[in-house]
Amino acid sequence: MPNLQAPGELFMHCTVTHVRLAGLAVSTGSAVRDFIADGLAAGVELGQLERVAKTVGLRKRRVAAPGVTALDLCEDAARRLLDEMGIDASSIDAVIFVTQTPDHSQPNNASLLHGRLGLSKSAPAFELSMGCSGWVYGLQQAALLCAHGGAARVLLCAGDTLSRLTNPGDRATDPLFGDAGSATLVERTGHAAPFHFVLGADGAGAGSIMVPAGGARQPAAEATRLETIDAEGNRLHAENLQMNGAEVFNFTLREVPDAVNAVMKQAGWTASDADALVLHQANRFIISTVGRKCGFPADKTPMDIVEQYGNQSSASIPCALIDALGDRLQTSPLKIVACGFGVGLSWGAFAGEIGPLVVVPLRPFPAIT
Amino acid sequence: MNRVQQLQALQADVDVLAGADEATRLDGLPSWDSLAILLVISHFEHVHKIEITGAQVRACRTVGDILALLSPCS
Repeated sequence: MPNLQAPGELFMHCTVTHVRLAGLAVSTGSAVRDFIADGLAAGVELGQLERVAKTVGLRKRRVAAPGVTALDLCEDAARRLLDEMGIDASSIDAVIFVTQTPDHSQPNNASLLHGRLGLSKSAPAFELSMGCSGWVYGLQQAALLCAHGGAARVLLCAGDTLSRLTNPGDRATDPLFGDAGSATLVERTGHAAPFHFVLGADGAGAGSIMVPAGGARQPAAEATRLETIDAEGNRLHAENLQMNGAEVFNFTLREVPDAVNAVMKQAGWTASDADALVLHQANRFIISTVGRKCGFPADKTPMDIVEQYGNQSSASIPCALIDALGDRLQTSPLKIVACGFGVGLSWGAFAGEIGPLVVVPLRPFPAIT
Repeated sequence: MNRVQQLQALQADVDVLAGADEATRLDGLPSWDSLAILLVISHFEHVHKIEITGAQVRACRTVGDILALLSPCS
């Protein structure tokens, strides 16, 4: 049974028992982009590029090949995970898809994945339109379905192709993002340690990360693709992902440490009890700043993944779990604190003991031979 | 921390302010950009435990204006 909070408490929190995280897989984009090379090609001075690379931690990122979508990346991750675990897709009781870059406005990616994998008609498929905080939200929903919703096995897929939304002429935003799709299998069990969640949102700041056009409010049109140039010379139009970096940074510093502390308090842990703090891999600068403010040493706060793959939106936490902790998670339980944060503005924090579990190695899709 | 120490601490965290003084105009610095603004916000949070917004930093015209953001609290 989930343990829910009383109305009016500072954070929405809950604890879910008798569930476990059974497996993880992530498929990344296959095209490698180099921050310095791309910047030089765009006419940016080398010294300026090196300064940003060093301070923010921008090196390389992997973006989806032409024609490849978040659905394709997540399907590949899901198939590899099910193959590795020897699980038949018909045994999945529900599928949750987390994305802000769906193939279509209708139907949702969850239904399309349901069809591609050949899931049972008794398995519901639904979508969460969330970005960088989305994996934690999806994990909470999957855990609740297992603990309280009649499911024994839930497939959570989370991923985005945000590189398609940025303008190559926007040097403040475009170099940040990579593309990836993740698959996480959550199962009901009799023995697992509790999963703790803290969720929150600040919709007043929603405009800080936005794609203004392309939806019902401002449909895509020729006029919404007219580029403007900002004070720093960045080109962008209304169908591009637009981000106020300073406001998002303020939001992150204000909300994430409190959410992390709240979920650790719920778990009865301190930073020294936890094996790792796995933050959404926004960039090295943000991860190191937030990790420090949360009281975690750098060696417990993975941040290398983002320099190789870029900001992978809702796939970044599972990707960091695999890259930084995969070997240990395959053999032993670890006390993991995780926090996703971003578009919405929204945040979700998790604390729980996970492992041993099946960890499928990171791989680009399509596979590079 | 006196004003000179505040400036030195700021310069240690915000590389583009190296060699600047309080009268230095920010729009005259070649690398005064959105990253520099993030570094200022981070410096205030980490060193002074003060939350300032991007809008407050963007409204500053000189290095002295940035240091003045400390005044209500110093």
